[in-house]
Amino acid sequence: MLAYSVRRVLATIPLLLLGTFIVYVLVAISGDPLAKLVTCTTCDQSAFDRIIDLYDLDKPIPERYVNWIVNAVQGDFGPAVSFGSIDAGALVLERAANSARVAVPAFLLIVTIAVALGVYSAVNQYSRLDYTVTGLSFLGISLPTFVFALLLQTIMIWMLEGFGWRPFYVTGMRTVELDGFLEMLRSHVLPVVTLVLVLTASESRFQRAAMLEVINSDYIRTARAKGVPRRRVILRHGLRNALIPMVTIWALDFAALLGGSVVTETIFAWPGLGPLFISAVSQLDLNLTMAIVMLTSLLVITFNLVADLAYGWLDPRIRYE
Amino acid sequence: MSEAAIDAREGITTVSRSFGRQAWDRFRRHRLAMFALVLLALLTLSFIVGPWLSPYAFSDQDFSALNQGPSLAHPFGTDPIGRDLMVRTFIGGRYSLRIALLIAVLTTVIGTVIGAVSGYFGGAIGAAVDQFINLFLIVPSLIILIVLANRYGSGPNAIAVVIALLAWPLIARIVRGSFLQFREQEFVLAARAAGASTRRIMFRHILPNVFGPIVVNATLLIGTAIILESTLGFLGLGVRPPVPTLGNLIAEAKGALQTKPSAALIPGGFIVAITLCANFIGDGLRDALDPTSRRS
Repeated sequence: MLAYSVRRVLATIPLLLLGTFIVYVLVAISGDPLAKLVTCTTCDQSAFDRIIDLYDLDKPIPERYVNWIVNAVQGDFGPAVSFGSIDAGALVLERAANSARVAVPAFLLIVTIAVALGVYSAVNQYSRLDYTVTGLSFLGISLPTFVFALLLQTIMIWMLEGFGWRPFYVTGMRTVELDGFLEMLRSHVLPVVTLVLVLTASESRFQRAAMLEVINSDYIRTARAKGVPRRRVILRHGLRNALIPMVTIWALDFAALLGGSVVTETIFAWPGLGPLFISAVSQLDLNLTMAIVMLTSLLVITFNLVADLAYGWLDPRIRYE
Repeated sequence: MSEAAIDAREGITTVSRSFGRQAWDRFRRHRLAMFALVLLALLTLSFIVGPWLSPYAFSDQDFSALNQGPSLAHPFGTDPIGRDLMVRTFIGGRYSLRIALLIAVLTTVIGTVIGAVSGYFGGAIGAAVDQFINLFLIVPSLIILIVLANRYGSGPNAIAVVIALLAWPLIARIVRGSFLQFREQEFVLAARAAGASTRRIMFRHILPNVFGPIVVNATLLIGTAIILESTLGFLGLGVRPPVPTLGNLIAEAKGALQTKPSAALIPGGFIVAITLCANFIGDGLRDALDPTSRRS
């Protein structure tokens, strides 16, 4: 297992290098940092030289990439020029922590609700409740995140106009340290609810399909035939096996949530990785973009590996050779 | 003597039905899917006919009715410079639907061809496709989208092509899996023994077997594409204004959410309706085209 993990990690390195190289080139060829200086009448040659030196513009792009990756693996991601040249790595970590504030509770809720709904629907297939859950999940899948978020904001606005009071904040992040526990809660609810709705809809469908496949298999019939109580058949024999295929989906969803959700965080003005990424790319801030891409790719790769290892642990029939 | 003639002589009446006919009969029994099909047809019709019937053109400005909520003269209200939002929503629906259809067709064609080739030949091509799909997990599609839009413009067709170039691996994976499975079967061996060319085996013998999943996923893609296009439009990264896609309309209206939420919520409702229809039709097609997944 250890040898397998090491091999897997080593195998992802070329992929990571190629991926970051593609992003680096795409962003580097998209804009010229000198362009802003062309209209500057008071700038002399030294200003140009300083920019050229700062971005290594006198060197070819592949060489600049190599310089960047050598510094990056040592933890130096360079200055984020679109953010007053503060350290890009530190900025990304700070924003990642903000994203995690909504990602972690959202993920826990998603898994709990999706497992419960999926199992209940599968066990009571074609019952009224199954149809209701199916209908709601179709609605959830068909509802774009930003429309749902705008709907929530509209409701809050109506409440504020109607009662002069609203339970949750529409934008911004409040923390326990600065604003107290209640304020923190009021600002976290809407982004978390938005993330939960979107992902629960699809995950409960997967869970239902996985559970249906399990309860229609022979060993469940055997368990029933030998008189195991229904509850025990569903939870012990059924659910445990129906959770195995979900592990990959959970891992990828959690990695995506931790990497920052562009739409949800933008709408609720949440200072997470999503809005930072959009601003970095649209301002062609190379160092910042690369630092974010590095973090999100590492998240995806790590959680993929964790999912694969968990597979082997949960299902002993799977062997890593 | 033909089979039907034998049946007739023995007094048995059989109706022979083609696969398409059987699928249609199964689809027709799926009430929700039929409802969705009718609703989608009505929506499409209103997008096409609506702007002709409306007394306003999509850029006409009515200075006596700036930034209004729904009224009799303007059922969906007007925007801050007095343009009628109903006709703008219909035109926006036209654009969004056209982009979504283009994305669905392009993605399906690219994904099917690549999936078929990599599944049939396997080996290095298959491994290359696998690595390519993994690469897409790392390189954020938003970067590619923004950079390509910067270079090649962001008209409706350009956006559709870029999204299709990013979305094909899903279809390719499905087609590839089926090709891996079917290429080992006897009918392929028989076709080869009869002297069929590789291309004929791939597209005449194997592809029809994968037809069901491809059509189902193409239908579901329409829903995904509408959401994707409108999300990009909402973020200001999609089709450039003044083209009024449904997403752009919501982006224009989000600032005035407080005073006039209808301007954002009505186009939002249209997006939900189209996506729901596409998903229900896809679900109905899944049941209709795949005899093994039928309800017992």
